[in-house]
Amino acid sequence: MSYTELTVWTRGIIMDKEGRDIVNSISASARIEGKYAQAMENYVDNPDRTNCPTRKYCRVSDEIIENELTYENEQPNIIVLVEGTMVKGWDYMRGMPPGGTLVINTHYTPEYMIRFVPGPERLAQLVCVDAAKLADHKWLYYRLGELGLDRLSTEGAAERNKSIAPDIAAPLIAAVVKTTGIVKMATIEPMIANKKAFEMALNELHIMSLNPVAV
Amino acid sequence: MAMLADVKKRTVRINGCVASAQAAKYADVDVIAAYPIRPYTATMMALAQMVANGELDAEYIVADSEHSQLSIAHGAASSGARVFTGSSGVGVQFAYELYSPISGSRMPVQMMIADRTLDPPGDFGSEHTDALSTRDMGWIMGWSCDAQEAFDNHLIAYRIGEDPRVLLPQMVCQDGFFVSHITGDVELPDTGQVKEFLPPYKHPYPLDPRHPVSHGPQIMPEQGPPLQLERARAMEESMAVIEEVHDEFAKIFGRRYDPWVEEFMTDDADVVFFMQGAHAVTARFAIQHMRDRGLKVGLVRLRTIRPYPTDRVKDVLSKFKAVGVIETNMGIGGVSSGGVLYAEVVAALYESQKRPLVLSFMAGMGGEAIVLKEFYWMTEKMLDAQKRGKIEKRTHWVGFEE
Repeated sequence: MSYTELTVWTRGIIMDKEGRDIVNSISASARIEGKYAQAMENYVDNPDRTNCPTRKYCRVSDEIIENELTYENEQPNIIVLVEGTMVKGWDYMRGMPPGGTLVINTHYTPEYMIRFVPGPERLAQLVCVDAAKLADHKWLYYRLGELGLDRLSTEGAAERNKSIAPDIAAPLIAAVVKTTGIVKMATIEPMIANKKAFEMALNELHIMSLNPVAV
Repeated sequence: MAMLADVKKRTVRINGCVASAQAAKYADVDVIAAYPIRPYTATMMALAQMVANGELDAEYIVADSEHSQLSIAHGAASSGARVFTGSSGVGVQFAYELYSPISGSRMPVQMMIADRTLDPPGDFGSEHTDALSTRDMGWIMGWSCDAQEAFDNHLIAYRIGEDPRVLLPQMVCQDGFFVSHITGDVELPDTGQVKEFLPPYKHPYPLDPRHPVSHGPQIMPEQGPPLQLERARAMEESMAVIEEVHDEFAKIFGRRYDPWVEEFMTDDADVVFFMQGAHAVTARFAIQHMRDRGLKVGLVRLRTIRPYPTDRVKDVLSKFKAVGVIETNMGIGGVSSGGVLYAEVVAALYESQKRPLVLSFMAGMGGEAIVLKEFYWMTEKMLDAQKRGKIEKRTHWVGFEE
């Protein structure tokens, strides 16, 4: 049986959609491929505050998911940090079984970033992708006010932009799918709005392979 | 009636909150009274979008509190509108004054409740105490365990409540998060099916200046008893209508629900869980695993708690040696010093010739997920009681005992 947990760490409201798009598109693709899948947002800690760390979850399995009603991913195999400075802030590696993947949106190299990762010995690979540059380097700095006004704390209900991954989510999805094979590239690619960033990211991933050990 | 094969079906993947909003849209509600509180908020947001996009033609009124919200619902229903409202947790409590007037004036208002634990402290997790604290206010009440059932229950409840033989408001409840925020496959019906099942609403005595009537006037004490008796009878007599409506629903939509209890693997069971709501989903997995180990355990899930199917509960539960009531609600200082469901179960069994042992399990409190190993633990307690022929104690707080 193959069962995979993906946890996305992102920033409340301003990057909420980016995190949500990652888990929603991957779970939808898994469903299309005939697998059992589930995507949800962290429910219990009121994640709708600007800039606060929030989590999005995805579960993909060959068999029916029996822990569907549990709030959090307890053993994430894949972790995505939508915003690079989160690498220092929290024990996002907690519960990861040996052989996991960490994807970070950053312009730094994996060799530089690994020093900040708590418990890196569990990783099979550390993937860095400069998603902000690939999507549009102005995406956040120039649109911050607009994003803040558009998104509010409505868990996605009041967003004007209905397209999936128009911004930095596209390169991050490319990084996850290419390095983990959680779903097929051909299944997810048609859903992605920013195809250019998605395609470019496939060739611009900085991957550090590691030898994971049990802790 | 349209042949099922001809019916164009559409399955979407939505969560319980959106399923409720979709059901309100299919029911073509006239007035929506809203006031935000998580997790119900997602339903009101989905409805706001539908109205804004022109998918649903309804008056959408955002109140200044839940008390005003239910007052608006009461007023709108009195004028003959089909009304949809909803709330969660302390929001349900804030509107408490209105529950008796709404059922007392026999207004079939529908309220969606996505359960949330009452304060203190602030907790988004699902506990049934918010809705259950209003259980004797004359509202028809029941829980769904997934998004599809939530969708269906809304349509079924409108049909029951608006039946001229009933005319009672309905609380259509779902667990916060476990249903409200978990996505599931929901088969949306053809609008023709809904039209056939749920005719346009027509209250017999709406407030209308051309045909003056009086609603809710001050009365003398001696006029009280007949009014209360009428309301109690309406609730009692709704039982036949509820069964009728579930049959009709199965005919038109092809999904058959037992109106009162769902039985899962109970045929040869010695011990069963008795519960409401979404934890039944995990309970079914746990029971399958325990069956693989040869343990004769099953599940009886209550679908409608008001009106309470006393005789049905008695007949079903009398078959077993032990019953474990999973409360998910607070009944502090009550019969079992645990939850309120225990009292309902034990009272129904009192007249039975063959009474099972009954244990009350305080599990899922504060909205904590009840995990597989906790179901195994509770089953051990029931089997132990069965073996010894008596219970160790009435109430077990799951997770706090060996």
